[in-house]
Amino acid sequence: MAEDSNRDALAGPGALWEALRALLPRTKEELRLDLRASVEGSVVVLLQQAADLFYGGRRSECLQACEAVLDYSWEKLNTGLWQDVDKDWRRVYAFGCLLKAMCLCEAPGDSATVAAALRACDMGLLMGAAIFDDILIKVAAVLQAHLLPGKRPAQGPAPEQPRLKKARNGHVSIPDMRSEKAVPRLHCPSLQHFRKHYLIPQTPVILEGVADHWPCMKKWSLEYIQEIAGCRTVPVEVGSRYTDEEWSQRLMTVSEFISCYILNEPRDVGYLAQHQLFDQIPELKQDISIPDYCCLGDGEEEEITINAWFGPPGTVSPLHQDPQQNFLAQESEAVYPHDTHLLHNTSQVGPRGLAAPPPPPGGRTTLQPSSVLSLLRCDLPSGNCVVIPWAPSQEAVPKARKRPLATAGQPSCPPGAPASQLPAHCSLGRGLDVRLSMYIYFVHINVLVLFV
Amino acid sequence: MAEERPGSWFGFGFCGFGQALGSGRGRQVLSPEPLRLPDAGTDICGVSAAWSYTAFVSRAGRVLLSGSAGGAADGCRDAWASETLLVVLRDGRGPGPGAELQAWAPGSALRGEPLWAQTVAPEAGREDGAGGGTRAGPLPLLPCARAYVSPRPPLYRPLAPELRARRLELGAEHALLLDEAGQVYSWGGGRHGQLGHGTLEAELAPRLLEALQGLRMAEVAAGGWHSVCVSEMGDIYIWGWNESGQLALPARGLAEDGQTVAGEATALKEDGSGVKGPAGTEEGAAAPFIAVQPFPALLDLPLGSDAVTASCGSRHTAVVTRTGELYTWGWGKYGQLGHQDTASWDRPRRVQYFVDKRLQVTAVRCGPWNTYVRAVEQS
Repeated sequence: MAEDSNRDALAGPGALWEALRALLPRTKEELRLDLRASVEGSVVVLLQQAADLFYGGRRSECLQACEAVLDYSWEKLNTGLWQDVDKDWRRVYAFGCLLKAMCLCEAPGDSATVAAALRACDMGLLMGAAIFDDILIKVAAVLQAHLLPGKRPAQGPAPEQPRLKKARNGHVSIPDMRSEKAVPRLHCPSLQHFRKHYLIPQTPVILEGVADHWPCMKKWSLEYIQEIAGCRTVPVEVGSRYTDEEWSQRLMTVSEFISCYILNEPRDVGYLAQHQLFDQIPELKQDISIPDYCCLGDGEEEEITINAWFGPPGTVSPLHQDPQQNFLAQESEAVYPHDTHLLHNTSQVGPRGLAAPPPPPGGRTTLQPSSVLSLLRCDLPSGNCVVIPWAPSQEAVPKARKRPLATAGQPSCPPGAPASQLPAHCSLGRGLDVRLSMYIYFVHINVLVLFV
Repeated sequence: MAEERPGSWFGFGFCGFGQALGSGRGRQVLSPEPLRLPDAGTDICGVSAAWSYTAFVSRAGRVLLSGSAGGAADGCRDAWASETLLVVLRDGRGPGPGAELQAWAPGSALRGEPLWAQTVAPEAGREDGAGGGTRAGPLPLLPCARAYVSPRPPLYRPLAPELRARRLELGAEHALLLDEAGQVYSWGGGRHGQLGHGTLEAELAPRLLEALQGLRMAEVAAGGWHSVCVSEMGDIYIWGWNESGQLALPARGLAEDGQTVAGEATALKEDGSGVKGPAGTEEGAAAPFIAVQPFPALLDLPLGSDAVTASCGSRHTAVVTRTGELYTWGWGKYGQLGHQDTASWDRPRRVQYFVDKRLQVTAVRCGPWNTYVRAVEQS
C-alpha cells in the first residue's frame, strides 16, 4: 500500500509498522467480524467505517471511529452480569482495540506511543474476546519486542534492582487449622494413586517435586518478570481488604506494579488481581506446564484455567481473604442468605465488609477454598503443589465469572459488585463435577499459580 | 414529549452518524448550536435521541428521524428512540380518540408495517389532544399508565395499577418510576447503586425509594447507570455510578486524568463557571472518591439555584434551573456537556452559551452521548 513506502525511511518505526501490518489481512474485506444480530446494525456500520478508514490510510479518522466503537462496546460490557455479556460485544471491543493499536503505530512515534498501543492491546485482551486467531496476542508480542528495555518510557519511579527474597519456609502466623489432620505429602505419586486416594475422596494433599523441571523454577525472578512482561498492563487490586476505604482497582503496567507494591517497602498493599495472566502474556506461560493431575478432573483439558496471583511480601494468598468467600456469597446470593453490610454515608467507597455465607441449609459441607488458606500456611517450600480436589456444594453457582476492569478511566469499585468490576476470571466448578484446584506457590517471588 | 411553550432547539455532543445536531459537520459538537432540520421551520415539541439517530416530533404531529435512521411520518403524538427499536404513538387508524402504539425497526424509515402494534385506549378523564395537554407521562410510559415499552422483549410490560405511574424512565439495566403522589420507585439491576435502595442488589419489581419517602418529586431521569430526581421544591437527588463524575461527586478516574475538581472549591467562581485552579483544598484533606452512591444524595447547584427539570445520558447529567440556566456534568468526551471541550466534570458547571446569548433554557433531553436543549429568548 502506498503509505507504507513512506515509512521505510526510518528503519525502526518502519520495521514496526511493517511487522504489524503483516499481521492484518491484505484487504479490508477480510477484516470483517461475523457478528450476530445482538450487535446492532449501527455498530456494524461503524466497524465497517473504521476498517475502510484504516485501509484507506485515514488514521486520525479511523482512531475517532475506534474510540466510538470502544466506548459503545464498553457500555455493553458493563451492562448486566459479566457472564451474560454477549461474547460478540467483547469481540467488537477487541476489534476496536486492534485498530486503535494499529493506528497509533502507523506514524513513526516515540516509545510512549508504542506503549499506548500496547496498552490498547492489553485492554483488548483483558476485556475483549479472541478475534482473528488471537491477533491481539501477536500484536502485543510485536509491540513488546519493539519496546526494548532501553526504549521503554519512564513510568513512575524507576524500579530498583530487585533483591531476591530468601525462600520463606515459615509462616507468618498459624491460624486455627480447619482440617483436623495434617496434610499428607507425596512425591510425584502415580495418577492412579492420586486419583484413588485423594481426588475421589476429596482429600487435600501436598505434592512435592511436581514443578521441578519447569523452566519457571530456574527463570522466574522479579527481574525476569519485568523483562518479559514489564510493559504489559494488568489489573491490580489496591488495599489489603475489601473493607478498606481505599480499596480500589487500577490498571497499571507490571513494572509499575512491581515498583509500587512489591519493592521499595510499599506503603499500600496491592496485588495483581486474579486474572488469566498466562493467556494475556503467553511468554510466561511457556515457563510452566499443566500438571497431569489436573486432567483427572471431570472437565475437559481445554477448560482448565490458569490464574496467577502475585503479591507483596508478607501476604500469602488471596484465598485467605474474605473476598473469595464474598465472591461466592455474592454470586450465590440467590441461594445463600447472607448479610450485606449496607453503606452508611456518602463518603464510603464500598461495603464495609460482607459476611461469610452460612453453609447452605442441608447442603453437603465440602471443602471450600477458605480451607485452602490454612493449608497454604503450612510449611510449603517453593515450587510445591497443594492439591485441593473439591466439588462445590450443590447450591454453588455454576459459572461464577468476574468481569475484568472496566476502562481506561479505571473507575474504582466496591467489591460488592462482583460482576461489574472485579477482574478475576475465576471459573468455579460446574455443579457436582469433581474439579481440581491446584495451587503452586513460588515463595521467593510471592507468585501463586492456580490451576482450576 | 409534548411541551407547552415554543422555543428553539439546540444540540451538542456526539453526532457520528450524521444525526441533526447543530451544523452536522464532524463527529461531535462541543458547544451548543442551533438545530437545523431538513424541514426548515418545523416547530419541534419533542426530541428523543438514541445513540446513532434522533427522533424529532413536531407540533403538527410529524416525526422526523435523523442519523443512522431516516424517514418521516405523520399522525404521531409521541416517539421514543432506542438503538434497536423506535416506538411511536400514533393517531388511531379507526375512528375515535384511541391511539396506536407501534414499534418499528429504526432502519425501516417508518415504511411498511411496524414490527409490532397495539391499540391503546386513552386514559379516561384526561386531556388527550394531539401534541398537547397533560397526560400520563411521555413514552416509554404508555398514556394509560398501565404499561410501558421496553427495548428488549417483552416489548409491552404491564405495571401494577396501584402504582399510578406518572412518568417512567429506563436506564441500561434499571427503571425509574414517578407516581401521582410524587413518590419514586426503582427496579432492575442494581450493581452500580442505581436503584437507590442502599444495596447493590437487583430488584425484580418496583420498589419504593424509602430514602425519598415523603418528599414530593416532580421529575425523574435515568442515565445508563445513574438516577436523578428533582423535587417540587427544586432540590436534586442523585445516585448510582459515578465513574465519570455523573453524580457530581469526586471521581477517581477524573483525578487521575487531572480533571477532578474535588478539593478545588476556592478556584471556581460561585456559579460553577470559570477555570479550574490548581489542586488545593481549604480543609487540607481531599474529599474521598466515590465510585458508587447507592442511595440518594442531595446535590446543591451553585448559587443555590432551584432545579425544574433534569435529563441523563449514558454517563452525563443535565439540569435546568428555575431561572433558565443549564448545568451539565459527567462524561464529556464527545462534547455532550457543552463546555466547548471534551473534559469530563465531576461538579455541576453552567453552560455559558445560553447565558451569553441571553437565552432561557426551558427543556433538556439527553441522548446517550449528546444533549438537546430548548431555549427561548429572555424576556
